[in-house]
Amino acid sequence: MTITGRSAFLINACLAGGLSASLPTQAMELTDNFEFSGFARIAAGFLDSEDKYLDGYTNDISATQQSLIAIQPTYHFTDSLSLTSQLIAHSSEDRDSGVEWLYMSYRPSSAWHIRAGRLRMPFFYYSDSVDVGYSYPWMTPPLQVYNNYLFSTFDGVSASYFYSGPGFGLYLEGYYGNYEGDLYLAGGKIDVDAKLTDMTGLVMMLQRNNVALRLSYHSGFNRTTIPQLEPLINTLRQYNFNDSADSLGSDGDVQTWQVSLSYDTPLSFYRAEWVHTRTPFDLASNFSGYYAMAGRNIQDWSVFLTLAGTEYKDVNPERELPPPSNPPATELDQLSAAYYSVFDRTPNGTINSISLGTRWDFRPQMALKAEIGYYEENSERSGYFDTPTSGSYLNGSDPEKESATLYQVGWEWIF
Amino acid sequence: MDILMKRITLRLILTSLLTLVCNSSALADSSDDIVVVANVSHEQATLTREQVRNLFMGASVGYQLYPVALPPQNRTRSLFNAKVIGMAESRIQSYWAQMKFTGRLTPPEEVRNEREMLAYLTHNKGSIGYLTADTELPEDLVVLFSTD
Repeated sequence: MTITGRSAFLINACLAGGLSASLPTQAMELTDNFEFSGFARIAAGFLDSEDKYLDGYTNDISATQQSLIAIQPTYHFTDSLSLTSQLIAHSSEDRDSGVEWLYMSYRPSSAWHIRAGRLRMPFFYYSDSVDVGYSYPWMTPPLQVYNNYLFSTFDGVSASYFYSGPGFGLYLEGYYGNYEGDLYLAGGKIDVDAKLTDMTGLVMMLQRNNVALRLSYHSGFNRTTIPQLEPLINTLRQYNFNDSADSLGSDGDVQTWQVSLSYDTPLSFYRAEWVHTRTPFDLASNFSGYYAMAGRNIQDWSVFLTLAGTEYKDVNPERELPPPSNPPATELDQLSAAYYSVFDRTPNGTINSISLGTRWDFRPQMALKAEIGYYEENSERSGYFDTPTSGSYLNGSDPEKESATLYQVGWEWIF
Repeated sequence: MDILMKRITLRLILTSLLTLVCNSSALADSSDDIVVVANVSHEQATLTREQVRNLFMGASVGYQLYPVALPPQNRTRSLFNAKVIGMAESRIQSYWAQMKFTGRLTPPEEVRNEREMLAYLTHNKGSIGYLTADTELPEDLVVLFSTD
């Protein structure tokens, strides 16, 4: 989106905000078969830091990182068969606007639901509703879990089953599909052409007495091209450093595990989630993210405290190539320097955060939010503060532990 | 003897007062109780709290029932949220936003008030809704769960 596009988006969004009092708060049924609903958010924030950015925010107040508007038309062919689409306009340049969803939905019984088409990835608890700010208390779900997910949609089929016995509730979902597009790692979009095939996943949620345990497992075959690394990989192969070449390649299985626990009472709510991803990239082979949140409801208000963290593991180069002499004298030195510098520039640090947020459901289908979060690296180069879109640090940048406070406010609307 | 009589009288008065207070609070409780009623055959089994909760959150209980809800800010709905769903209204709204915009589930049909609820339930086979326990129910509606 260009600057003009952004301004237009903001103006439209502000107008929407101003007009909100007269806007409908329920889905509109245009005909008996056609239903139209949607969601919008205006989110603004800034980072109190001169030289860093986090989740797109810098120390200039910005309302163009997370603001969006989406419409969701649904056409019902019969009571059990329908076609749904979701079109999103993002204000952030990091997110693609357009058709987020397009799927056929079939409900053969009250418990079963089958969908086919372009669907959202149900990686984690809030993954498939990460754009719907109204669906969670935070301004942004914890970055360490939700901005480290690989992608947001896939093309395929999904079947789910939701049943309640006398003493428990059970939700099961299985899917199969493919994905081609951008990848998100360490809090930002990285400049690669990702292709995942044979993706399968299973989600299970068990519920009893308002305690819900969600377990999920996702896997797929990854064939991602990182254009900047291709020349280096080819040169390594020419010199027969195949293990080193393979370590920069990305062909192989990607697996993600997730476990979350949530508990609700009329006066309070608690969430905890841990996720772990293993990829064939030696540059980002194992990473985990987690958070724990406790909140209190006070009439239309809620306040909540969240602790979150992340961890990168096993970002290790192969040791085939001798370490380069300084300055590099031979061609081999240059190759070795290039190879090891890729690993030196890769995010492999960890970041923790603590945040305090509040949400006010001031009228049906609308909420105002405010949040303040302190982010601190426990080991340098977490990738969250200042990684460029190449996905790696610049040569010669200072490896220092960094910290900053992020302030955010927002308005959420669903209709 | 006089003192003894006075003590007995006082105890009687206190006991009566206490009974009155207890009864009146019991009366107050009865209108705070919720019954979950459905337009189903009389042979239908009853439901547990867990089943009613999950049914109103989109789950199936093994046979087709169509939940009907009262609007947010309705007192009966608030009682139902507190006693059966066990979540605050804002959390329930968030849940439905998540379900709806991820294409998983749609929220229950909503009617405007208790009178409409009774009419809806009476006219729609398989529908299930909630009312306060002191509501006079037509014969063809069956109580499947009560918070009493």
